[in-house]
Amino acid sequence: MIAELVQHIVNGLIVGGGYALMGIGLTLIFGIMRVVNFAHGEFFMMGAFFLFTLFSLWGVNFFAASVLSVLGVGVVGAVVERLILRRLRETPIEIPMLATVALSVIIQNAAILIWDPSPKTIKHVFSPLPLTLGPVHVVSIRVFAGLVAVALIVGSHLLIQKTRIGRAMRATFQDTDMARLAGVDVDKVYMFTFGFGAALAGASGALLGAVFWVYPAMGDLAALKSFAVVIMGGLGNFLGAIVGGLLLGVSESLGAGYISSGYKDAIGFVLIILLLLWRPQGLFGKKVLPR
Amino acid sequence: MILVVVLALPFVGVDDYYLHLLIMAGLFYLLAAGMNLLLAAGQLNLGHTAFFGIGAYTSGLLAVHSGISPLLTLPMAAVFTGFIGYLLGRLTLKLRGAYFVLVTVGFAEVIRLVATNWMDLTQGPMGLAGIPPFNLGTERWTLVSKRDYYYLMVVMAGGTLLLTARLLGSRVGRALAAIQSNESLAESSGISAYSHTMLAMIVSCVLAGVAGGFYAHYITFLSPELFGFQNTVTMAVMVVAGGQGMVLGPAVGSLVFTFVPEFLRMAAFYRMLLYGIILLLVVMYMPRGLVYYLRAILGGGAPEPAAAATADRSFVSEAALASGGGAALAMREVTVRFGGLAAVDGLSLHLGRGEILALIGPNGAGKSTAFNVITGFQPADAGRVEFDGADITGLPPYRIAERGLVRMFQRTSVFPEAPALDNVLTACHRLARTRLWELVLTTQAYREEERGHRERAQGLLNFVGLGGKAGEPAKNLSCGEQRLLGLAIALAPDPSVLLLDEPAAGLNAVETEQLMRLIEEIRGHGLSVLLVEHDMKLVMGMCDRVMVLNYGVKIAEGTPAEIQRHPEVIRAYLGSGEILADA
Repeated sequence: MIAELVQHIVNGLIVGGGYALMGIGLTLIFGIMRVVNFAHGEFFMMGAFFLFTLFSLWGVNFFAASVLSVLGVGVVGAVVERLILRRLRETPIEIPMLATVALSVIIQNAAILIWDPSPKTIKHVFSPLPLTLGPVHVVSIRVFAGLVAVALIVGSHLLIQKTRIGRAMRATFQDTDMARLAGVDVDKVYMFTFGFGAALAGASGALLGAVFWVYPAMGDLAALKSFAVVIMGGLGNFLGAIVGGLLLGVSESLGAGYISSGYKDAIGFVLIILLLLWRPQGLFGKKVLPR
Repeated sequence: MILVVVLALPFVGVDDYYLHLLIMAGLFYLLAAGMNLLLAAGQLNLGHTAFFGIGAYTSGLLAVHSGISPLLTLPMAAVFTGFIGYLLGRLTLKLRGAYFVLVTVGFAEVIRLVATNWMDLTQGPMGLAGIPPFNLGTERWTLVSKRDYYYLMVVMAGGTLLLTARLLGSRVGRALAAIQSNESLAESSGISAYSHTMLAMIVSCVLAGVAGGFYAHYITFLSPELFGFQNTVTMAVMVVAGGQGMVLGPAVGSLVFTFVPEFLRMAAFYRMLLYGIILLLVVMYMPRGLVYYLRAILGGGAPEPAAAATADRSFVSEAALASGGGAALAMREVTVRFGGLAAVDGLSLHLGRGEILALIGPNGAGKSTAFNVITGFQPADAGRVEFDGADITGLPPYRIAERGLVRMFQRTSVFPEAPALDNVLTACHRLARTRLWELVLTTQAYREEERGHRERAQGLLNFVGLGGKAGEPAKNLSCGEQRLLGLAIALAPDPSVLLLDEPAAGLNAVETEQLMRLIEEIRGHGLSVLLVEHDMKLVMGMCDRVMVLNYGVKIAEGTPAEIQRHPEVIRAYLGSGEILADA
């Protein structure tokens, strides 16, 4: 009984780590750029396909291939910001949003043309035998995915809190105009933020892609879930994205185990609706007073 | 002309394939038009396809299981869908911008999962088959051919076009635009953001329900794919690419974006890729939508003729002032805390009828907080606010404005995108007496009311000296002109008490003089004025009484002459004596 419960929670935390990574990327992009990135799921998918191509098709070392995949998605994100979103900066919120929707259609269909729609697996380098800790069994690739997710979350936190670009990001987050006046290169911050957010989604996709399947539409559900994560945690809230991601992962795992696996993917949104009944302004929402 | 062409199409060699496409374009028009209505208030519903699906399944299931004629199940589906929209609206319409978008996306996903997993009801992914085709009451009058459905769709789309044109072209449309442009100002002009966005939500969901019901009996087969995000994306593309906020936007958008993907079939495998690229190009290079650019190319519609520039200045009705004696406005021991800090601490205030009272004090003294409490933007932790002897503590801003207590904001006193006249016209909202149905039917009474409001708005523009700038978008006006426009907006709802938050901020000496004359004249009409101001010339030159705040507490009250000599006031202003020097 208890062992089963712990098993569900551990599984949930590992998947939740992936959700948290996606959520952090999405929340940073929204917090700093005010863009809801509907192509986030496609960055996730790209991370998985880059890894599949580099490692499974071209035989690059697994770890090198992982790093290259994440960096590659980051570069794609930065280019997208530079060529598309930068031109739409002064438009109402739905315009850049629709641009990212268009982008997701383009990327997903390009992926279908390049890799064909059938699901693929990444035959990674880890032993198929589970690691056993007391009553809990976890396959080693999952342990790896969980550890990497933790490392990336901590790394992102340090990047934002301790580095020069992180300070510029925080300044831009608080007040873009003041940051600009204080000499922050806001264009660079935007480009970096979008690339960084995309890379986090790519990392999440590479990790979960190695654990599960890789296919062009894999980002659709992942994107929806990262939306749920950031609403729960509050758009633009770093810690909220981590909490929301883990919460979603665990509640899905428990829901699938104890309620119904068919409705597993709805759990995040049911949580949100309950949350709204309890706090209509959202978990971290604040009222802004007029002047 | 267009009508004749539309009606004649099936007879001039347009085959069934194209008729089907036209029917689908009409279907998507119903959906896009609803989405457009809510987007007019700045709320993008990216779960709209959920309502389409709910309407389809409701009508389909009712017809399959109960055998009721589709003629009845379709309206039932529309009502049910509207009800679901109401429920979701209650939950989510307080959310704004991206939160609303994401929650609606999630809602559609939940509904899709329910439709997929609730096998007993919907037969899940296998789909619901055997839905009877549409009929006009009995099976003898069953709609069979594409042509039949085409004409039914023409009627429905035409009705939708009329309905949305009436709504968007009336005070409802102005209110929705105002909510998007400046929600606080809309509320303080007596417009309820919640009830107007709710109206738009319900209408858009009913339209989606109608579209869904039509689809169910036209295709006679339903599957959970209806709830897919792709459908919502298509609708959003039609709205934005067609021209959001414009009546014809969704119509043009749905026609273009039904046919474009069909022509792209020639590209076979590359179809969706090309579709995405076209979409991206449209968003990047035509963000205002096709209709906007078409209109620009065709030279634009003629601007509405300006209403007769009457010199009539009787903008204050007797009704507004016909209230009993006593104070016009009073605060009793009001306290507001932010964390441990009391921004306003046990403040009492009394504004007599026809009086001009100034609230002054250093920055952070609690003046703006006091204004926010009075006008309902900030709840009080203790104490009461009374207006005309009635307790108004805790009422929402628009209710307070409805009673005749109206405020002018310090920074955001206008609706920037709208022309000056529409700014004032929007704020006439609370004076409207006609009902929603009169507006939709454009009755005589409604037309007269609208004309009256237009004259009133023009009169107010004349009063503040902006009569010649009625057609100018507010954002193009100078800073001083925007303040004056803000004053006209504040006067539009026919208030008996006016709250002015730093009206002279950013004005030059000449403009300040003009403003003082206007305020004097407003008081001459019997209005009471409470103002926060740093300009001591204005405060000392025209106010009957002055109240000084410091750290949320009243430190002095009296006539301007008394205040200038008050030792505590001089100390609060750092003992610099600036208050004397300025006056």
